[in-house]
Amino acid sequence: MSRTWFLGSLILFLLLAGLVALRGTLVALAIPLLLYLLYGLWFGPNDVRLEVQRDLSAERVAPQTPVKVRVTITNRGDDLEELALEDVIDPVLTVQDGSNHHLISLSKNKGFVFEYTMSGPRGGFPLETVHVEAGDHLGVLRTIQDVRTFGQLFVFPTVARLKQVPIRPRRTRVYAGTIPARVGGTGIEFFGVREYQDGDSPRHINWRVSARSAENLYANEFQQERVADVGIVLDGRERSNLFIGRHSLFEHSVLAAASLADTFLARGDRVGLLVYSRYLQWTWPGYGKLQRERILHALSRAMPGVSQIFDGLQYLPTRMFPPESQIVLVSPLVEDDYSTLIQLRARGYQVLVVSPDPVTFEEDHLPRRTAEYSNSEIRLAARVIRMERSLMLKRIQRAGIQVMDWNVAQPFDQAARRAFARQIQAGSRL
Amino acid sequence: MTLFALIFSIALGIGSLAWGYDQVGLLQFTRWIILFGAVWLFAVWQRWRWFAYMGLVFNFLAAAFGLWFLNFTPGWMFAGAIGGLMAWDLTFFRHRLRFAASDEERRAVETRHLVRISLLAILGFGFASVAMILKLQFNFEWALLSAIVAALGITQIVSWFRRRS
Repeated sequence: MSRTWFLGSLILFLLLAGLVALRGTLVALAIPLLLYLLYGLWFGPNDVRLEVQRDLSAERVAPQTPVKVRVTITNRGDDLEELALEDVIDPVLTVQDGSNHHLISLSKNKGFVFEYTMSGPRGGFPLETVHVEAGDHLGVLRTIQDVRTFGQLFVFPTVARLKQVPIRPRRTRVYAGTIPARVGGTGIEFFGVREYQDGDSPRHINWRVSARSAENLYANEFQQERVADVGIVLDGRERSNLFIGRHSLFEHSVLAAASLADTFLARGDRVGLLVYSRYLQWTWPGYGKLQRERILHALSRAMPGVSQIFDGLQYLPTRMFPPESQIVLVSPLVEDDYSTLIQLRARGYQVLVVSPDPVTFEEDHLPRRTAEYSNSEIRLAARVIRMERSLMLKRIQRAGIQVMDWNVAQPFDQAARRAFARQIQAGSRL
Repeated sequence: MTLFALIFSIALGIGSLAWGYDQVGLLQFTRWIILFGAVWLFAVWQRWRWFAYMGLVFNFLAAAFGLWFLNFTPGWMFAGAIGGLMAWDLTFFRHRLRFAASDEERRAVETRHLVRISLLAILGFGFASVAMILKLQFNFEWALLSAIVAALGITQIVSWFRRRS
């Protein structure tokens, strides 16, 4: 029941009681209530028309970067004696400076401007509503509105710069790039020797081989370098991503996926992204800066989730990836993912697994001593699980899958540089 | 400031009713009224806003009961009802104050609101005083209470005018 109805009922009761009892004092008792109600009805707003404009200093920022918000309210309706305003923001965003809510009086055709600074973690945050409560000073008549505005803030994941990621899919695209294409032509890496043809540069003539032949000249052939199709799969299954308090392994996976996508796109590859979570969120493959934006948008919104269907990786929609292309799986991995990875490999995909280490992550975030277990017991348990994981990663590697085991305590770019340099040095055939 | 005014209103409303009932020797009723006042103050502490509705109804019913059946002195009953109304109003005003961004903004809104409430209280007490004079019951206690309410109300109004000028 609204305040007006409540007061009205009380007034009516007192008036009726006064009439029944024929007592003027009872009727007089209703006068303060009547004055109160009349004040509210007289000064309450009839026409609440507010124009709201919101300006953000930036719409795409890195996590925890302060964003200045400026909200301009213009009153196009009646005088508003008491106006409560709240620029509604997502609860995970924190206001650092200023305030996103105000309580003011606003005359007709007057404006009010307020500013505040907010920051937040990775995510996509729509800023679409300014909550307004307008009324008289006594709050008898109140009009509540949610004024729609258009705005959004994207907090993109941090992107670490990687110098090189050694992938070598079987099939490449026709455009020149940096990935050895297993086809002779122009390039840097030596590929073979063939008979000299008209148009070949004389500098490419292999004089040693030509000297052995009395009739023909032979020229060096180089391996063509082309761009490739890369499909990045981000594992968002809740059972594989650990959550310890406010810390989540998924955030590290997102960072890795963003860095890898950025690296591949920077060198010209065609990159697609699949977030394998409660449902499949697919960003179709594309090139260049626009695709980078699309992927970062998708990653900013990516959330881990539970789904009975996508509990295991067996439902990975491989048809969405071009045949014999490169798949990069960013996942902490669970035991039954092994068979899916083998199947991918068997279908001709080149697979790179970037696996944030859940064992070290959990060990680092566990309390030093719990009520049930001593430190030594926790260490022993971690050692056993780590051995199991190490065994699984070795089995995956033996199947010809490139694996980067990442201790998330280390920055991704440093860990990747070290891991990939080792693979390049070892000359791992992919 | 609002909290002080809220507590003062509850004390004024409950105290006036209790005093009125006590004057005619209904001690049992007085005890219940005081107990209700204590519960109301507890509800303010716990921020149970719904209790303010009960408080307002209780104060008005107690005042009406006194005026209807027991033919009490009207002044104390009016004061009890006005106190209840102010307390009810201030409970919700206090909740609306959560929107205020700064102390300055809060003070500005508080001042404007308290001026209006003070005017209402002064009007109500003026009206009750007339009733007391008509019934030849304008005594020292009533004069003292009216003076306190008037002083607090006029202070608010004067400070508001000073801010405006």
